Amino acid sequence: MKPEGKDNFTPKIVGYLCNWCTYAAADMAGSSKLEIAPELTVIKVMCSSRIDFNMVLTTFFNGADGILIGGCHPGDCHYDKGNYYTRRRFALFKDIMKILKLDPERLQLSWISASEGNRYAEVVNSFTEKIKKLGPNPLNGNPYF
Amino acid sequence: MKKSYTKGAKISNSKGSRKTILNFLKGLLKKGSLDAVLIPMRVPAGDSYAWVLIKDKKLLDDANPIAPIMPVQGANALSSCTKKGKGNLKIAALMRPCEIRAAIELSKLNQVNLESVTLISYDCPGALPMSDYLQDPGEGEKVFDSLLKKRDRDVESVKPVCGICDNFSILPASDLHFGLSADSRDNILLIPNSKKGTGLLNKMDIKPSEDISSWAKNIEELKKVQEKKRKERFEYVKDMVEGFDSLVKTFSACVGCHNCESVCPVCYCRQCYFESETAKPDIESILLKTKNRGSISLPADRIMFHVGRMVHMSLSCVSCGLCTDACPVSIPVAELFSYVGDRTQQTFEYRSGEEKGEPIPMKTYRKEETKGINELVKGAEG
Ligand code: SF4
Ligand code: SF4
Ligand code: SF4
Repeated sequence: MKPEGKDNFTPKIVGYLCNWCTYAAADMAGSSKLEIAPELTVIKVMCSSRIDFNMVLTTFFNGADGILIGGCHPGDCHYDKGNYYTRRRFALFKDIMKILKLDPERLQLSWISASEGNRYAEVVNSFTEKIKKLGPNPLNGNPYF
Repeated sequence: MKKSYTKGAKISNSKGSRKTILNFLKGLLKKGSLDAVLIPMRVPAGDSYAWVLIKDKKLLDDANPIAPIMPVQGANALSSCTKKGKGNLKIAALMRPCEIRAAIELSKLNQVNLESVTLISYDCPGALPMSDYLQDPGEGEKVFDSLLKKRDRDVESVKPVCGICDNFSILPASDLHFGLSADSRDNILLIPNSKKGTGLLNKMDIKPSEDISSWAKNIEELKKVQEKKRKERFEYVKDMVEGFDSLVKTFSACVGCHNCESVCPVCYCRQCYFESETAKPDIESILLKTKNRGSISLPADRIMFHVGRMVHMSLSCVSCGLCTDACPVSIPVAELFSYVGDRTQQTFEYRSGEEKGEPIPMKTYRKEETKGINELVKGAEG
C-alpha cells in the first residue's frame, strides 16, 4: 500500500442519509447537475435515528476518514420524532468521541431537507474539504485493535 | 419534586446494626406486612454471599443484611424475581445504594417491577474487593466488621469505586433508610422516605418523630469529602481512558472474556450485541478491513466492545464496581466506566438511578435540548 500523506490523499467518507430528506436532496443535487465531491459513499437509511453508535464506530474502525449523517430538520421528521432521538444519540457519540479523542470533527450531523439540493452540495463539499485537511484516519495502521 | 422526609425514629443499636435491621425485618414478616425479604446470606462454604428471598422468619437469623462483598448485584437478583408475572408478593429488598440505583435504572427498562417492592437502603461503608476477600474470608469478615464500626469512611480496604463513592446514603428512591452513621452509635435512625416506608413504620407502631438534621449534616459532610476524592481520582483515571491510544493501552491485557458485561446490572440485553452473530465479521469484511487499515487484531473488535459498552450503558452506570471484581486481568473497568458515565450523565443532565419513572436519556428528548447537547450538535443547522 502506498503511504498516504495529506497531499495525495483521497479520503473515504461515508454518508448515512435519511431516505425522506437528505437522500432526496442528494438526488435533487444530482439531477440539477450540481458539482459534488466524489469521495462520499452514500448509504441510505430509513431514518437518521436508525444509526447506532456501533455503525459509526464500525465505519471508523473499518478505515473511513469521515462520516456524514443527514436527517430532516427538527420538527420535520417523517416519523414525527426520529430526528429528536438522533440529536440526542449524536450528542452521545460526540461526547464519547471527545473522550477518546477520536477527532469529533470527523463526524458531522447536518439537517438537510428534501428540497435543499444546493445545501446538500455545499455540505458535502465543505465536509470533504475539512476531511482532506484533517488527513487520514489516525486509527489506520494501529495493529492493536 | 418528591416530598422530602425530615423525620426518623431512633432505635437502639445495643445489638449492633445487623441484628437491629434483622429484628425490624422479622417484625414485619411476623405482622404479615411483608411476604418475603430479599437479603444476602453467607454461603455454607463461607467464602461468598448469595441473594436469598426469605419468607420463613427463622431463616432470617442466618442472613447478613450488610455483607462485606457484593458477588452479585442486588438489582440483578431483584430483576430475576420481579420481571415476569404480576408480583403480588410484598417484598422488601435490603440493598446497597448502588444496587438500588441499578434497580431504578432497570425499572425504567422494564426489567424490574417495583410495584410491590419496598426498597430499604442503609449508610453503606463500601464493599471489599472480591479478590481480597477470597484470599482469606475470615480475615475479610473481620476487616469489614471494623469498617462498620467506624463513623468516618475508611477508604483503604474497600473497592476502588467505593473509595470514591459520593452516593452512599439515602436516595430519592429509598422507601426506608437505616441511618447507621447516627450521632451516637447507641442509636440507629430509621427514616421513612416514601408512603410505602411510612406505611411499614405505622404497621410496626414506630413513630418517626426525631429530627434527623444532625445525621443529615454528617452525611453531607462525608459526601463532600467523597466528592473531592472522586474528582482527584478521576484526574488520574482520565489519562487511562482519554485518547484512543491510551484506551488501547489500558485494555491491552483484556482477554475479551466479557465478564465485565455479564455481571454489569445495567447491561441487561438478553443477548449482548457484541456476542451476536451480526457482530462476528465474515472473512470478506476482515480482508476489507485489513485492506483499508493495513492490519487487524484478532479476534476482531476487542476494543470496540468496550467503546460500544460505554455508549450503550455509561448513562446508566451506577459505579457499583462489579465489573472490576469480575475482570480476571485486574483492569480497573469500573473506574473507567464511572469516569465516562459521570461525563455523559452531566451532558444529559441526568443521574442514573436517582428518580423513579424518569426515562433514560436515550428513550426521551426535549424539543429544546440541554445546553450540553446543543453544544455537541452545534453546526447541524448549517
Ligand atoms: S459498568 Fe461496572 S461499575 Fe458501571 S454499573 Fe456496570 S458493573 Fe457497575
Ligand atoms: S454492551 Fe450493549 S449490547 Fe451488550 S449487553 Fe451491554 S448494552 Fe447490551
Ligand atoms: S472482564 Fe476484563 S478481560 Fe474480560 S472483557 Fe472485561 S476488561 Fe476484558
